[in-house]
Parts: sequence; structure tokens; C-alpha cells
Amino acid sequence: MLECRNLHKHYGGVIALKGVSWSLRPGEVHALCGENGAGKSTLAKILCGITAASDGEVILDGKPVKWSGPHEARQAGLGIILQELDLFAHLSIAENLALGNDRLEGSAWISPAVLHEKVRPLLQDVGLDLDPSLPLGQLSVSQWQLVAIARVLGLNAKVVFMDEPTSALTNDAVERLFGLIRRLKERGVAIVYVSHKMDEIFRICDRVSVMRDGEMIKTTACAETTIDEVIQQMVGRAVAATRREKISVTEKKLFEAREISTRKLGHVSFKLAPGEILGVAGLVGSGRSEIGRALFGLSPIIEGLMTIEGHAYLPRNPHDAVRHGIALVPEDRQREGLISGMSIGQNTTLASLSTYSRGGWIDREGESAAAAKVLASCRTKFAAQELPVRSLSGGNQQKVLIGKWLLTQPRICFFDDPTRGIDIGAKDDIYRLVSDLAGKGLGVIWVSSELPELLANAHRILVLHEGLCLGILDAATATQEDIMRLATGHRL
Amino acid sequence: MNTTFWKYLRHHGQPFIGLLLILILGTVLSPHATDGTIVFLSPGNLTDVLLQQSEIGIIALAMTFVIIGAGIDLSVGSVLALSACVSALFMMVWNPHGPLVVQVGLAIGAALAGGALIGALNGLVITRIHLQPFVMTLATMIGVRGFTKWLTGNVNVDLAFGANPSGRFAELFSSKPFAISLWIGLAIIAHLILTRTVYGRYLRAIGENERAAAYTGLPVAGVRLAAYVGCGALAALAGLIHAARSHQGNPNDGVGYELDAIAAVVIGGTALAGGRGSIIGTVTGTLVLGLLTNVLRLHMVDSNLELMIKAVIIIAAVWLQRRSTGVHGDL
Repeated sequence: MLECRNLHKHYGGVIALKGVSWSLRPGEVHALCGENGAGKSTLAKILCGITAASDGEVILDGKPVKWSGPHEARQAGLGIILQELDLFAHLSIAENLALGNDRLEGSAWISPAVLHEKVRPLLQDVGLDLDPSLPLGQLSVSQWQLVAIARVLGLNAKVVFMDEPTSALTNDAVERLFGLIRRLKERGVAIVYVSHKMDEIFRICDRVSVMRDGEMIKTTACAETTIDEVIQQMVGRAVAATRREKISVTEKKLFEAREISTRKLGHVSFKLAPGEILGVAGLVGSGRSEIGRALFGLSPIIEGLMTIEGHAYLPRNPHDAVRHGIALVPEDRQREGLISGMSIGQNTTLASLSTYSRGGWIDREGESAAAAKVLASCRTKFAAQELPVRSLSGGNQQKVLIGKWLLTQPRICFFDDPTRGIDIGAKDDIYRLVSDLAGKGLGVIWVSSELPELLANAHRILVLHEGLCLGILDAATATQEDIMRLATGHRL
Repeated sequence: MNTTFWKYLRHHGQPFIGLLLILILGTVLSPHATDGTIVFLSPGNLTDVLLQQSEIGIIALAMTFVIIGAGIDLSVGSVLALSACVSALFMMVWNPHGPLVVQVGLAIGAALAGGALIGALNGLVITRIHLQPFVMTLATMIGVRGFTKWLTGNVNVDLAFGANPSGRFAELFSSKPFAISLWIGLAIIAHLILTRTVYGRYLRAIGENERAAAYTGLPVAGVRLAAYVGCGALAALAGLIHAARSHQGNPNDGVGYELDAIAAVVIGGTALAGGRGSIIGTVTGTLVLGLLTNVLRLHMVDSNLELMIKAVIIIAAVWLQRRSTGVHGDL
């Protein structure tokens, strides 16, 4: 009933989909799975008219369609429940359900009493026993998710997309959702279930399609495949040549985390030796960035202890962490890393400015000499230090951020997915930089979404799942399948 | 050197063009004195403008720092009144004992300390409790005004004339050389702090992207706090000039000064969103506003019309800057 042929999508220079063809049958529950950035969400958003494809066609009931926006797709019976929930905290449950729903909104004037009567059955459908006049802001994340589902049900959709619907749900809410999915299926509604939770997929889905690096790898009936096979299809990339340097096994510890807990981490323990690269793997939301936030004084430690070279370490804020020799290259370059209106040189020296100043006055020559030196050592390509940093490509911006921290001469570096969205050449430079740092005796913690990258560069790999450390693997012997199995919550 | 000058002018030239236009306009439209000289360009007239603008000019310097740090300070007008009244009360009513210099010094010190204290209160609440700068300084604007009225019993405190503390104080602070060179001197210091010091660099980084600045380990709260303390202290300093020039401490003075100062900063090309701005621009913006008033007053133009013309100038100045920097195209 819903089909797409040869879909392409690129955001600027980043390619999200390359020639995806796929089809959905009426009344089936169809899983879309793949690693972070495989293109699942992009595909779902194109099919529902939220973003437009760069090329290719979407076919609904045999007719090619071109959505002008999500509203048109919704009218045609395609509903989507997004990962980032598109609801309004200040509006009541009923108002949220009625928004964009012509049947519920009825006319320009909405009587609350009438509306509440109309939305009650929808809420009962998803098992929410709440007063429709409650503002959404008072609900838990799990209830919020159920409202989002009820909203799509209210549209009488023929196809429902669910993007990671269970990520915020409690266990019994998940069961209720599965019951609901079965009932919808009986009514002939087709469901596209985007998830990386294998056990859920195999419980409720009829077919599973695996995506990888923007391509559709394979669609198979769930009955004819196994969890292992699907995981293999998800990771299936060639492992790059190993480049990590052998570290001499010493008993020396640079850093240790003992049973640390934060709001998003539960009793995580690990050690870091000088010269070691500790990879951190996990799906988005597994708490992998949270390790950096804890280390950098951004997330308060609720329980547990951190030590640097044997001394207890409890940072109050990033300023404190930097003084202790910690560096953090954040995940979101634009929002957390760069001062985009400032020049390349000024961004580079921002963390170490006091080194080139006397009594608060900046020694401009010393500053630009230091910046020039470190930018060259990072192989940053730029025309002049005075140019705004936003004029650089993503890879070179990342090198500026790394250079910024090199100038502070840190002892421990935390890299949060440093190669995301940058081209291959720049990735290679960053691999080399990180190995060099480790070679100098620094401790490196490296979060990555790309398993081959971790397997090739890290010494050990810590795998997180929902805030828990499910294992620390030796990178020399671990496989992508092992990591993915742990990251999706299955023990080895 | 020469090329950098032109480059600077191309990027930051908007307010200068406005200044130039007003100077030309003023010269052409100026009435002539009986001996045929152009009144507008006479040294007496121009220094009058500088003296008149010195209060707003000094406040605008500090306001530039606050705004570059992505804040705003609405309390400066009330702080100016408080400072004027506190200094007048010290010299006229409370009469501390001691030689003249000590009496005047105490009055000045108390006024400045009071301003800095209110700035610190603003800064602490904004950085620790995370109240929006607009809301917090709106509250202090109202509260400090009330405090000042209570302190004076809502009565003007007149300064005396002659060889007594308040007379000497008024003589000094209202003299053209003193007030104007104070403003210009502070402008040079402010410019150097903003462009040449670690503090200035931090302030701009924090104003543009507070989150990234925090992730870089910058002392975000301290830098922003210092901007508010400075703003309170300079508003108090402007209050001393105000007291001297009006020869009294009037608890109802300074209303609307915060908006004049913000207007000068904005005309000078500082972005209200933070991160971007210059002291040179602010000084130019202050002069543009002062000269405009002067040109119109020389022609006896209705002061209500003057306000309407100012409104047009503010909009035109900011619009021109957005065009030249391409800010509006960024989204």
C-alpha cells in the first residue's frame, strides 16, 4: 500500500539516504532497524511529509504522491509518532489531541466539554485514565508518549509510524502498547516500527527491514530470521586496519570511576591507564555522553567516587574540571563547542587564554603563534586565523575544537562522537591525533557511534545500555556483533 | 594599518556615517551668530553637547558590556538617582566630620559603593538564581527608585554654593573638562578591556554562546557578575555628574535613562542578542543622539517631534547594520 522507490536524501554535504526502495503491506507490523544514523528516522520522515526527499518517489495505494507537508500526509492517513515528541506542554491533553485534527477541532469554536467527551475513547484506547483538561506538562514522559500515540490514533490513520516508541515507556506501558498494536493490526492498520530493540521487534513485528549507512540492506519475515542475523546485517561494515599502539601493561592508574551514578548512569565503574584509549559504545540515550558530563562537572554525581592519580576528584563545574586537566570535545559542535562569531584563532585559544596573558592583558602575538602551531599540528586547513570559525568545514571545525583542548595540556580527554558528520579524510586525521595523544601518555575516553572506528582505535570498549555498563570488552578480541548485542541489552 | 582602518570602517562604519550625516546636517541647518559664525560648530556648542551626553555616555559604556554579555540593565536610571541623592545627603544632611576632601571623598565613595552593590545584587540573582536579566533589573529599577524616595522623604536635596564640600563637589563634577575627560577616559579604558583583555574575550564568548563558553570551562557566572557590578558603579558615577550639574539630589531624576543608554548602544551596532559590539560604536551612538537633540534645539523644534525623529533614527540605524552584517539572512 505504501511504497518508495530509489529515495535519496542529503543534508548539505551529509548523505542520509542513498537509493532506498521499500514497501509496506496493509495490516502488517514492519520493523525498521539499524544503527544510529543508518537513515531510519530520515526514511520515516520523508514518507510522512516532514522532510522532502532530494530524489526518488513515494507511492501510496498505487499513486505517486508528493507531500507539501506533514498536514497533507496526515489527511491521506499517514500518522507519525516522533522520537522528539511534538507536543505542547502548556496545552491540555485534549487540546494536544485536537491540534491539527479537523475532526476533533470541528469548527473555529471549541467547547471544552464536547472536546473532552470526544477524546475520552482515544485515551482509553491507549490506557490513559486521566482528566483530558490536565496540562501536558504535568504528565510523566511515559504518559506523554501515550498521548502522542493517542493523537495519531485520533487521525484514523491507515499507516502509523512509531519512531522508538518504547524508549520512554515503563514496562507495563510497553505491554499496553503492544496490545494496542495488535488491535490496530486487526483493524487493518499498517504499522512501521522504528527501533533497535531486537526482542521487541521479534515479539510483535511481521517483517523486519535493516538499514545501514543510508541504504536498505534487506527485508525479511521475522519468522525466517534470527536476532543474530539481523545484528550482523546492521553492523556488517568492514573493520578498518588497527592503529592503536600497544600499551605496556602497567598497574598505573590515571583515572578511576568507582560505582558512579548520576541521573542517567547507574553504578558505572571503569579504570583508565595513561596512554589508554577507552572506547564507549552505546545507542543514543544509553548514557554515553553522560560519562563525559559527570567527568566534566556538568552532571552531579549522586553516588560513587572518581579519582585522578589516586586523588579523589569531584568537579563542581567545568571550570574546576579544566583546572584538573580534563578536556571535553562535545557531541554538538555548534551549540556546545564553537563560538561561531569569533575567529578561528580566538576559538582555538579560548580555553587557554590565561597562558598568553599578563595581568589580564592578552599577548596577541603569543596567542596567534600558539594557535598557529597547534592548528598546524592538527592539520587544520584554513586561510587565515582572523576568519570566522563558521567559515570552516565540519572536519576543520572539529580540529579547531581539539586544538583548543590540546593547548590546555590536559591529562584526560573525553571525545564525544568526534567524527560524526565529517568526511573521511578529516576522520583519518582525527584518528591519528587521538592516537598521538594517547602515545604521549594521556588518558582518552572516546564515545563513538561507529563500531569499526572503536574496534580499530580503542584498547578497550565499555558498552552502555540504559545507563548501565553491560561490559568492558578487549578491543583486540571483541566483534561488532558482541558490542551490538550488549548495546541492545542482551548479555553475551 | 591603513587597510585595517578601511576594513574596520566597512564592517563597523554604520554609526560613523550617521554621525557624519548629523554633523553635516547640523552645519548646514545651523543658525548663524551675529558675527556670521556657525553656531552649531562653535566650540562652546559642541562641548555643551559632550557635557550633556556625558551622563548617558558613561552609563552606555557599562551597558555595552552588559549587553555584549547577553544581558540588560534597566536599573541604571534609578541607580543614578540614588547616587545623586546619597552624595547630596552625605554632604548636606549627614555632614560627616573631617576636612573637605574627606567629606567629599566619603560622599563619592558611598555613592559609588551603593551603585556597585546594586549591580552585584543584579548580577548575583541573575547568575545564581537564573532570573532573566530583564526581570531582575526591572525589579531593582522599581525597588531602588522607592528606596531613594524613602531615603530623601521624596524631597530634593539641594547642594550649596561656595567653598564648602558640596559647592566644591558641584564645581568639579559639572565642569566641562572634568566630566568630558572622565567620559572619554573611561571610554578608552572600556575599549581596551573589551578588545585587549582576557575578560573582554570571555565576555564576548559568553554573550554569544553561553553553553559553549561553559563547556570550555570559562568562569561564566563571575564574568557576567562583573559586568553588572561595573554597570551599577558607572551608573552611580553618572549620578555624581548629574547631581553636580543639577546642583541637587533629586529622587525623581534619571527616569528613562536606561532606555537612552540602550538606544545609544544599539545605534552603535551592539547586538541585543549578545556577543557582538564595540565601545567605539557606543560612543558614536551617544554622540549621534546628543547632536541630533542639539541640532533640533538650535532650531527650537518641538521636543515631541524630537522624540519621533529619534525613533526613526534607532530603527534606521539597526536596520542598516543588519543589512551590512547580513544578520537577518542567518536564519
